[in-house]
Amino acid sequence: MDEREAVLHASAIEKSFHRGVPPRRRRIEVLKGADLEVRRGELVGLVGENGSGKSTLMKIVVGLLERDGGTIEREGKLGYCPQTPLLWEKLTVAEHFELFARAYELDSATAAAATESLLEELQFDRYGGYRIEDLSGGTRQKLNLALALMHEPDLLLLDEPYSGFDWETYLRFWEMSERRRDDGMGILIVSHFLSERERLDRVYELRDGRCVEA
Amino acid sequence: MSAIAVSGADFLREHLRARLTLVLLVAIPVLFVVAAAAVLGEFATALGGSVAGDSASALGAGWAAAFLAGALGFFQVSSSREADRRLALAGMGAGRVAVARICASLVLGMLVSTAAFLTLLLSAGVAHPAHAFAAILIFALIYIGIGTLVGSFVSGALEGSLTVAFIFLIDAFSGPGMSDSGGLAQLLPTRKAADLLSDAGAGVGSPVGDWIAVALIALGALLLAAAAFWLSARPRST
Repeated sequence: MDEREAVLHASAIEKSFHRGVPPRRRRIEVLKGADLEVRRGELVGLVGENGSGKSTLMKIVVGLLERDGGTIEREGKLGYCPQTPLLWEKLTVAEHFELFARAYELDSATAAAATESLLEELQFDRYGGYRIEDLSGGTRQKLNLALALMHEPDLLLLDEPYSGFDWETYLRFWEMSERRRDDGMGILIVSHFLSERERLDRVYELRDGRCVEA
Repeated sequence: MSAIAVSGADFLREHLRARLTLVLLVAIPVLFVVAAAAVLGEFATALGGSVAGDSASALGAGWAAAFLAGALGFFQVSSSREADRRLALAGMGAGRVAVARICASLVLGMLVSTAAFLTLLLSAGVAHPAHAFAAILIFALIYIGIGTLVGSFVSGALEGSLTVAFIFLIDAFSGPGMSDSGGLAQLLPTRKAADLLSDAGAGVGSPVGDWIAVALIALGALLLAAAAFWLSARPRST
């Protein structure tokens, strides 16, 4: 049995959505008691078909969506990269880094070092002064990912973080993730690519509202 | 600078960097004070009331500030809801995000009020400038509350801006001098501020008690806005 400390433990998560208006109102059960665990130094995948509830489960774990039932325990600092970049259109890349540095309560030296390192690592340093509205989808996604990483969290939750990446950036993304995993970060990645399974330490498949370790 | 100061300044930048906002900041007061004030009297007569020229111009400035503040308040909530929630989750907390949003809203309220007041001053003049500016600012603060409240319930840009415009129209056409001014019209949010602004435009002062009453209404609107910002940014569960 793996003795490493769990940084995320989700148990019996339930979630339903209601659609339509009475008398045609119907309840759609998405999660029916999903269990999930991520330990330090682990790269865990969450896969499933479109509409299986992967993003719903991720949003519940992060705290963006209310759950109907179940418990969630998280340890340490959290980093979250949403599927769609959640950014402010009129602010620049540099202003986003500054804003999140304040939110993460990083001192100015740490914030500057983290910003420089991530801009370089993801190779978008020339866009520091650009507004989000002027960036391509791929560069927005790089910033979306960088903001989740800049405080070196203990638990990193990534919801299909590489959509829009070119092949080189895609490969670099996996190198970055593996390096951080080796440094002790617990990482959960939502994906629907079966080909990525070999890169992951463990994989949960979300099937019929429950997580099955594949 | 604190996290609130940095994020408040960024939220303000987000709006002021939109060219259309800057254009509207000039165009709306001109439209309401110069063009609409002339026809306000005709509308008032058609609705069974009467508004004198100076009061109509002053009310036009108030409505310009209200319209701009309501629209900006709505978009402050609706356009950045998800990003604000992400920032709150990152460690800012919903409370500090809400305070930063309120600070940005207050500066925007001051800006739209100043633009409307200057348009009034330059185009028509005003007998009681300090009273007129204070009343215009109160219009703006009340509509920040209305705009953010609509933004917290209506997510679509079209539906939300139409809702704010609908409330605005009911409020404007039930204002002082526009009808017999009885019944429900007295309960509308800007009614007391409109009375004070109309008096300031006509060169008539208003009692302190009325100013305290409108200040309390504006404070209530700001508290409502703070609650809307907080509700919008708060994490759902952990």
